[in-house]
Parts: sequence; structure tokens; C-alpha cells
Amino acid sequence: MSALRLEHALRLVGLSHHKAPVALRERLAFRAEDMHRALGSVQARGFHEAAILSTCNRVEVVAVAREDNADPLMSLRGFLSEFHGVPESEFASALYELSGSDAARHLFEVAASLDSQILGETEILSQSKEAYRVAAECNSCGPVLHKLFERSFFLSKELRCDGGIGRSQASVSSAAVALATKVFEVKGRKVLVVGTGEMATGIVRALKAAGVGEILVASRTESRAVEFAEREGGKACLMQHLVEHLGIVDIVLVSAAAPHYVIEPRHIQAAAAQRRGRVLCLIDISVPRNVDPQVPKVVEDAFLYDIDDLEEVARDGRREREQVAARWRPRLAEEAREILHALQDSGTRDAAKKLLAHAAAQRREIFAQLNTAGMDAKTIEEIERLMERLQGKLLHGPLETLKQAAREGEGADAAAWISRLFRLEADAQQPSAGAGSVESAAPAAVPPAADTLVARSAKNAPTDRGGFPTLPDATRRATS
Amino acid sequence: MTPEAVSLAALICFAAGAVVAIAGFRVEALRKNSYQFLLVGLGVLLKTVSIGMHCARSDSHLFNSPSEVYGLLAWALACSFLVALVASAARSLGALILPLVTVLLALSHILPRESDAPALAQHRFLAAHILSAFLGYGLFLTACGGSVLYLEQARLLKRKMFGVLFRDLPSLERLERLEILCAWLGLGAFTIAIATGAVLAHDLKMPFWTEPKIVATEITWLIFFVLLVGRAIRRLNGRAAAKFVLAGAALVFCTFLLTHPSAKSASTAQTPAQKAGPA
Repeated sequence: MSALRLEHALRLVGLSHHKAPVALRERLAFRAEDMHRALGSVQARGFHEAAILSTCNRVEVVAVAREDNADPLMSLRGFLSEFHGVPESEFASALYELSGSDAARHLFEVAASLDSQILGETEILSQSKEAYRVAAECNSCGPVLHKLFERSFFLSKELRCDGGIGRSQASVSSAAVALATKVFEVKGRKVLVVGTGEMATGIVRALKAAGVGEILVASRTESRAVEFAEREGGKACLMQHLVEHLGIVDIVLVSAAAPHYVIEPRHIQAAAAQRRGRVLCLIDISVPRNVDPQVPKVVEDAFLYDIDDLEEVARDGRREREQVAARWRPRLAEEAREILHALQDSGTRDAAKKLLAHAAAQRREIFAQLNTAGMDAKTIEEIERLMERLQGKLLHGPLETLKQAAREGEGADAAAWISRLFRLEADAQQPSAGAGSVESAAPAAVPPAADTLVARSAKNAPTDRGGFPTLPDATRRATS
Repeated sequence: MTPEAVSLAALICFAAGAVVAIAGFRVEALRKNSYQFLLVGLGVLLKTVSIGMHCARSDSHLFNSPSEVYGLLAWALACSFLVALVASAARSLGALILPLVTVLLALSHILPRESDAPALAQHRFLAAHILSAFLGYGLFLTACGGSVLYLEQARLLKRKMFGVLFRDLPSLERLERLEILCAWLGLGAFTIAIATGAVLAHDLKMPFWTEPKIVATEITWLIFFVLLVGRAIRRLNGRAAAKFVLAGAALVFCTFLLTHPSAKSASTAQTPAQKAGPA
């Protein structure tokens, strides 16, 4: 049984906002209640491990193929098509297919939100964690995906600590909140929304998320104000009482689309007595502008920002995020290569440990059959030592070959051959726990006896500095 | 271990804190309040130990040499900054205050340790008077730092200059809260200083209310009192309040100069016999 290398076994197939329109994404999206069935279906198509990430911006299946899976990518494409009843031809052009370290790198970039529509958004990390949790719950997450996901979460956190990506604002709504936050803490503040434009909705939602208190909505058309207030959880009020409202609010969001200035210095000056020197933050997103630009010049404690200012803050934020992303992409690619190598090496190490454990078990079995009646302790000890030396001599070659193969990057193949030659899989009645071979990556149920044997041998097997199992000292002396 | 060596260690901590505060505008990894808190906290602790050792060795509360005065002012300013950092997490204030603390403490190491002025008379309130006065200076100067940041942030917000400084400075509201907190605490400290000074002068039969530095201290106290009352009745907010604090801080500076050992009136706490000099 030959093993596929992890570089070929790890596969990722998906589509995202980059190429696939929302109409296609929604057809291929997985509902939470379908996840168990979907993961089972992927595994049934020749995969040891599988996880599905389905968000509003992307649908991705990452899986580790079995050795008998001749074309893993076709299997995954077929799965997507059959599961959703969407012909392959309809999404083939939007699909990306990655394998090995490219797949791992992509997984890291996604979790770190470097592949998101808004660079640095935080939602994707929790969505990735959820995908991992569901996969683990369905027993479809084995050692490979476990390590990849864990590492991606760690790197994502590190990237956020590096700054820039989460600190800056990338959208106009978040820029509005950021500017207001520089004036005062927005939590509990009163907001007056003048006009009910589409963009106002986004900013009001962002302000609400930041914790503002009461929201007053004034519009020339009363019914619109009422509708907006009901939808966004505010209170409709009359435009005629604008000055009164200006006296009690802290943030004014203007999106009135009026052909003239709706708020002028005189309005705020009229409300000055009521305001008693409190700072006022005005955000005017109307074009043409509906707040007189003279307001902040005439009124000392008023700060006014228009759509250009918001765009500038958002643009600066996006630029800063891009810089961080550009700095991190090579690092993530390097991390992906390293983790795959580490997983490969662990496969050869596991094969060596298994071989040693297998040989030791055989030796003990033969020794147990030996009739030692009439022999003194010294003779028994001598026989035992001889058997150990014989075992060492026999295993020296295979272990050295395995070591050499690991150094040359062919550890996975060598491990698979060792496994096959010595019938290690059959002996243990289970695939090994390593990741170097796809076979070994399966987290299938392990019979207790075999599991104990492998665990014990792995524990007892001495290792060299690189963690590679070595022969016991006595055996090594014998082989030299 | 000498008090000077401990004070030098404190100086290193403050200097490191200043570097962290300034570099924090550029280096993301240094944008943590905890770094400044640890460095300044350690510096304050070391300087407190140094002052304690100094007092124990000289067996008095002598703060009449330029070295001692600058050292104590640096300590008071660092204590005030620590309070501000805990209360309002205004990390960027460190970029203003900590270099000043470092310079003051460095001056205390450079300037002469001996003074021509005769030793101050011993009194049970002398230590309380000196400490509260210096803490008052420190707190008012910290309030002044908050005001400078407030005016700068208000200017950036008005002129729509959304650069690194804009992003790193706290909100106007937080800076105003910091100003007011420091002003309240400073006013309390100054009240104690004036009260203990009055008792001290009375007991030692010295002139008090007519002393220029006392007059300056009282005017400073009054300015901050007016600020806080104005703030309480909501007549003095925002930039006006910040400018008021700056005016108060200018007077603090004048008061400090008058208190300086090199000033003639520094010998306030000398008894008439001491003033007369050796027979």
C-alpha cells in the first residue's frame, strides 16, 4: 500500500467573493444543519479528514485524501455539485483548487482575514473556529487539519497583535464611528439622524454597535422618519423641532439629500444655551452637503466631517491594512511549508516507532515460547540480550534508510514502504497516527490493544536529536 | 547601595519609559499601557526608596538643595503620571511627561547636592508640607500635559488631520476627564500644602501670607478652584477649560521658581535665629 504524500493529499476546493457572484455563492452555501451530513459525504468520497467553511463570502472544503483516491479534486468538485444539485459547469470557472502547502497557506490567510473582502475583519476568525469545531464534532478532523487549524488561529492572533490590520478603519461606517470616538466615548450618546439615506443606515448600525444611546430620526417626510426609526430602533421626530433636538444630542448624522443647508451655524447657536458648552460631532454624508461648512468655524465646540473625510479615514485604514497584509503573506507561506514538513516528518517518525514496537513485540512473543526450565538467570539474560542484538542488526538497515529518506524529503514514501514490508498496518489493525502518509493520518477507531502497543512503543522508543527513533543502546552496540 | 545609585536606576526606568512612550507612536508592539506602567511604577518605587534612604541617612527632611528639589519634583511628576495612566489609560501623555521626568531627574544628578541655604527647621508638618506641595506641582503639571494634548487633538479634529498623532491621542472627553481629575487631586494637595505651611509658619513665628511664593501658590490654587467650580456648573468646558489649566500651570511654574532653593525666599522655614545666621 503506497502512501500519497501530504503535499498531494491535502486538498482545498472553494469559491469566494473574488470570483463567484453572490448568486452562485448562495447556491453552494452549506446550512449549519447540513454540516454533519456534508462532512460525512466528503469522507465517504475517499477522504480521511474534512472541514467545510461556509460564510457569506466563501464556500471552501479542505480535506485530506486517502491513498486510494485517484483524483481528490474531482471528488470534491463532484461532492459540491451533487450535494447542492448544481451542475459543475456552472461553478467550475469560479472554483479554485489548491493542494499541499498552497492549501495550508490559503487556510492561514483566510483565518487571518487576508483574503477577506474587508482586510482585517474579525468575523472570519470566529467562522473558521466554528468550521473547525463542527469538523471535530463530526470526527472528520484528524491530526493534519487539527494542526493546520490550530496554527491558523495562532497566526491570526499574532497578526492582529502586530497591529494596523485591526486598528485602522476600512469602511465609511467604521470611519464615522472612529471619528466620533475621537471626540468622545460614543457609548450612551444621543444621536440625531437627519434624513434617511441608504448610507445613513450603515452608519447608524455601526454607531449602535458601538453602543450609542437614544437615536432620534428627523426627515422632511414624516412617514420615512417613522419607518427608519422603527427599522433601526430609534424615535421619529419632527424637522420643525430641529433646534430643540440639536440642544440635547451629541452626534448629528445628516443624510438629507436636500439642495440647501439643513443645519447652519445659527441653528447650533440657537441651541447653545441648552448645550452648555458640550461638544457636538456632526457627520454630513449628503452630496450636496447639508451642513454649512462654516459651522465648525463659528461654533468652537462643533466638529464637522463630510463624506470625503470619512473616505479619507477609510482609505488610510485600507492602505495600512494592505501594508500589514503584504508584510504577512510571505510569512504565512513560509509557515505553511514548515507545518507541512513537520507533518511529513512526524509520519516517518511514527513509522520508525511502530517498527521498533512491532519488533519488540515479536521478540517478546518468541522469548515467551522459549522453554527456560533448568536455565539459570544468567543464561536467560544472555539469550534475551542475543535476541535484542539480532533485532537491532535486522532493523538497523530499514531505520537508517527511513532516516535517509526523511532527510531527502521522501520520508512519506519510505514510511509507507516500511509499513507495507513489515505489515505494520495489518499488525496494528489501524492506520498509524502520523501524517506523513495519508493512510497514517486517519483518526479511525483504534483497537485498544493495538493502540496501547503503539503508544507504549512510541513512549519507550528512544529518539535522536531530531526526534527520530533510534535503536536501544545494546542493539546499537551490536549493530556497530 | 547609595541613594544616588538607586536614584540612577530610577532614572534609567523613566528614560526607558520615555523611549517606549515616544516610540509607541511608530511601533505597534510598544502601544501598551502596561509597558509604561511597569517602567514608571518601578521608577517611582526606586525613587521613593532613594528618597527614603536619603532622609534616613541625613536624619532630616532636607529638600533645599537644587539636586533634591529637582529629584523630588521628578518623583512627584512620575507619581502623578502613574495616577493619570491608571485613571484614563492616556498612554500618549507619557510622551510629554516622561521626558520631562527624565530631564528633571538627570538634573538632580548633575546639579550640586550641597546648598548655601541653611538647613530647614525641623517641624512635624514639614515633610507633609513639602510632599503635598510637590505632589500638587506634579498633578497640576500632569493636568497641563492633558490640556496640551486636548488642544492638539481638538486642533487635529478641527483641521481634519488624520495622521499618526490623531490616531494615537485619546478622545477629547477622556483628556478632559484626565485634566479635571488631576486638577482636583492637585487642588487637594495644594490645600494641604497651604494649610500645613500656615501651621508651620505660625509655629516657627515666620511670615507666611505675605511671602511671594505663598501669594503665587494661592493664586494658582484659586485658578484651579475657579476651573473646577466652572466645570461643575458647566460653564467652563472644552478648549476654554484646557486654556484655563495652561494658565494655572504657568503660575505653577512661577511658584516653583519662587520655591526654588536658589530663590531668596526659599528660606521660609528657617527660624529667625537661622535667618540671622551664625553669630
